[in-house]
Amino acid sequence: MKRLASVFLTIFFLVLVMMLPQAGALSKEDGSPDGGALNYGEYGRPATLDPITSNDMIALRVCELIFNGLVGIDEKQEIVDDLAQRWDISEDGRIYTFYLRQDVTWHALEGQDPVPFTADDVIMTYNVMMHPQTITPLKVRYEFIDTVTKIDDYTVRFTLKRPILNALARFSFKIIPKHGLQNSEFITREDPFVQHPIGTGPYMLKNITAEREVILVANENYFKGRPHVDKFIARPFADQNIMGQALMFNAIDMIVLVNHRDIPQLQGDKRFVLQPYNALSYSFFGFNMRNPLLADKRVRKAFTYAVNRKEMLDSFFQGQGTIISGPFAPGSWAYNLDVAPLPYDPGKAQQLLTEAGFTRGDNGIMEKDGKPLSLTLKVPIAKESEAVKRVILAFRNYLSKIGVEINAEFQEWLAWKEDIFLNHDFDIMFASWVFDDSADISSLFHSAEAGPWKNNFGAFSNPDVDSLIVESKLTLDHEKRRTINRKLHDIIADENPYTFLWTLTNYAAYNKKLRRVAIHPYKFFTFADGWFIPKSEQR
Amino acid sequence: MKRYTQHTTEFSDSAGVPFWKKAAPVDRVYIGYGLFIVLLVVISYILGATHFLPFDPQEINMDLLMAPPQTEGHLLGTDFMGRDILSRLIIGIQAYFLPGLLAIGIALVLGTCFGVLAGYWGGGLDIASTFLSNLLNSFPRLVLILLMVAAFKPNIYLVMAVVGITSIPTVASLIKSKIQFLKQKNFIEAATALGLKNAAIIFKHILWHNCRSVLIIQATLGMAEAILIETSLSYLGFGVQEPTPSWGNMVQSGANYFMQGNFWPSTAPALTILLTIMGFHLLGDGLNNILERKRDQ
Repeated sequence: MKRLASVFLTIFFLVLVMMLPQAGALSKEDGSPDGGALNYGEYGRPATLDPITSNDMIALRVCELIFNGLVGIDEKQEIVDDLAQRWDISEDGRIYTFYLRQDVTWHALEGQDPVPFTADDVIMTYNVMMHPQTITPLKVRYEFIDTVTKIDDYTVRFTLKRPILNALARFSFKIIPKHGLQNSEFITREDPFVQHPIGTGPYMLKNITAEREVILVANENYFKGRPHVDKFIARPFADQNIMGQALMFNAIDMIVLVNHRDIPQLQGDKRFVLQPYNALSYSFFGFNMRNPLLADKRVRKAFTYAVNRKEMLDSFFQGQGTIISGPFAPGSWAYNLDVAPLPYDPGKAQQLLTEAGFTRGDNGIMEKDGKPLSLTLKVPIAKESEAVKRVILAFRNYLSKIGVEINAEFQEWLAWKEDIFLNHDFDIMFASWVFDDSADISSLFHSAEAGPWKNNFGAFSNPDVDSLIVESKLTLDHEKRRTINRKLHDIIADENPYTFLWTLTNYAAYNKKLRRVAIHPYKFFTFADGWFIPKSEQR
Repeated sequence: MKRYTQHTTEFSDSAGVPFWKKAAPVDRVYIGYGLFIVLLVVISYILGATHFLPFDPQEINMDLLMAPPQTEGHLLGTDFMGRDILSRLIIGIQAYFLPGLLAIGIALVLGTCFGVLAGYWGGGLDIASTFLSNLLNSFPRLVLILLMVAAFKPNIYLVMAVVGITSIPTVASLIKSKIQFLKQKNFIEAATALGLKNAAIIFKHILWHNCRSVLIIQATLGMAEAILIETSLSYLGFGVQEPTPSWGNMVQSGANYFMQGNFWPSTAPALTILLTIMGFHLLGDGLNNILERKRDQ
């Protein structure tokens, strides 16, 4: 599953990469000291804090600290036990039986006894998630499950509609408590639970201050042992220019996603650690193939040839990223490294446009049958629009050199979404996709996904791609799927429905006092219960 | 007995002695500075319109991003896309000049109409125009503009039209109180007694002889207002849109790099805004003091 997101806007899709606050081998007799507090800077204020209705990265990071799933993942990206201590998978791959831990309790409300975690919670979470009145991006991801049955208080059985590849990883969805919701049927954004969630994770929500700081305290009864750091505080920053300075002046201890322009400054500073982590995402310019001028693949390719991606990456992002050639995130197994990105070659671009029947008009703009190549580029105005703005202006500049006029329109986020996904009123758009590990691009490029509010906004349609996507979904053999995806990559790179740009290396920056920091590329705080601050540096 | 005290506001009364001769020195400095700024604005506008600029303001130079002042002939350095800041400052006035005049035009023309209706005839018209003024004033201006921008597109002319409309109550109330004050004067009474038409009284005796100073002052302040509004909108990303330069969007985009030590891309336009707005305000203030003889009293 993917969702569209502007690069720096943190409204991302909720992609479950089966991650849980997982201490792994760190039983808390690891000798690390407890205590201290961690203030981390966030890009905004989360609207909700529960794992089901939330769809922004800020809330998902907090959820990672509060909740657990049935299975988790360790630092080697392998699936490990979490709320389920072991599981059986039937021969035909359709029945998954989970045996739950019996020593888990929900975060206790003040003055109340902790409620034990049981199979009922798992079943209710699934039912709430799939309830028609629950609005969640998770629903489509779990439609492969047919039924859930309770065997006993600590055993749950999931029956799948059909066996799917890597199904176990999907059971990492976060479990919410049966006693937590207002009604146990469905969850809405009005439910008090979304503002004051109860979980089983290493941290529990203490309160949200008037400034919308989210204060989390260590769960003394965490079933994997008490986490080391006493307090996690998420501090929202309205102005990102200040966040880097706040770190420098010790007002915060960690930034989850460092702005690329701050990197040189932080690199030179011995007090901080700059830790890269690879997110499965990339940015692109997407073309609307409903426009007859852009329906010609030579025109789309000409655009890609005309853009100097390397120069942009180096100038605007300090070279912190990789230029890509195709539809998969380069960190994923599906990415085909044999397909090289098109080089910067304005001459070739000119030539392709000429081949496609364009000639230079009087005003220097290429035209065909009297129609000038003058296109509208729609870009959402994000809080962090400045790096995006640079890319847009540079893109416009590159294309003007081959005689293409680009009218950039910066739009408010919702208006932009409506124009792109509902009205399809655009020629080119700029955005990024964030992926989970399933490398499923069917919603992006299958011709059946071209309708309103669907992800194939450009109406890309190619019969080969369609059949390969279907084939890839049906296969249960990982190697075979890999081969199919490599083929897909090849075709889509050639068809060029997007000008694929780059995947950026994300950096977290934190104060050196924080030790043994492991970061999950997507969920970030998955391993946070193993982090610690030495006694001498706790203030 | 009614005394003839009208001379303080009647222009013709001070005929013979040029008004600037009676001005206090400080007002002359104000006006001198203000006129200098206006002159610069007009020159910049002409330079921009004729493209007589040191560099092409749209030329992107990726090898020279945020170059400090005096680099390779860039007098004020380059911005975050390597474009020449000085050229962009000069051409940036285009963003305000005509749209600003539009705002001023709307405010003055409609404001005067409402003011005259309310002040000269009064009665129901007064109540109606007061009601409309209150209605307009009850909307925070910036919120109203943001609503318009969200409903349509970020367009500077649209924004300035809203600025003009929201300035109507100010102008209207000034004109209204002025007319209510003048109506008690003997010369209006005399004009009416002599059988002059309302139109002649309003346009010649009231607006031309007695209100033009108020209108000039409002016009200079209106220009300053237009620049400020555009700047605030740019900070929210709804002002003049890139790549068209405006001082507001230059400050905004430059501010993103301020903390990295690149102060010039935002400081140059910010200082320009400061000096220009100060110029218009001092001009307005100086004119107010002299034409309305505020300082004498």
